[in-house]
Amino acid sequence: MIHPVVAVIVVIMLIAAVALAVVRIVVGPTKADSAIAGDLILFAFMGLMVVFGLLLRVDAVLDIILVAAILGFLSILSLARLLQGRKR
Amino acid sequence: MLDTVQTIVGNAMLVVGAFIILSGAIGLIRLPDFYTRVCAIAAAAGLGVALLIVGLLVLDPTVENIIKGVIAIIGQLVTSSIGGFALARAGYLTGARPAAFTVPDQLAEDARDNPADTERI
Repeated sequence: MIHPVVAVIVVIMLIAAVALAVVRIVVGPTKADSAIAGDLILFAFMGLMVVFGLLLRVDAVLDIILVAAILGFLSILSLARLLQGRKR
Repeated sequence: MLDTVQTIVGNAMLVVGAFIILSGAIGLIRLPDFYTRVCAIAAAAGLGVALLIVGLLVLDPTVENIIKGVIAIIGQLVTSSIGGFALARAGYLTGARPAAFTVPDQLAEDARDNPADTERI
């Protein structure tokens, strides 16, 4: 199964990715930057789910990731619509 | 012999997928303007998560896992591409200025030339 060293490396990388995304959310000149950074946090979360699902032998990992992918689709579209406001 | 190859390939894919997501995050910080960031994240996230899911499938390939994994990968690629486009369009409509070196800004030129139908973007 997953090698512990690999799990640690992957978790550290993904946590760093989330940290960088949070920096962009705070700094981001426009709200659209924060939206794309929030989207990246969702993808990093899906990566964390893969690693912890493998470590803890969770059988439902792929269901979670399937739902996260579909929710990611809905969330990024709603963020785009929210940003647009009334401009079509 | 086979399962050692399987674990090696699976673990390697997990590391590469996580590295791609990290590179997307680094791109998020260092890229000059909004549009390059959206492009970077859409590409990196799509491929990074797809690789992670394939790595997961390689590590424990049961039948229903493979079916769910394929659907998740397709959904993920669709998500990141369409989402990236929608967000870039929303960003442009709400005035995210492209970086200075965006020389051929056709959209702005179109808007200047025929302001009547600027809503056509």
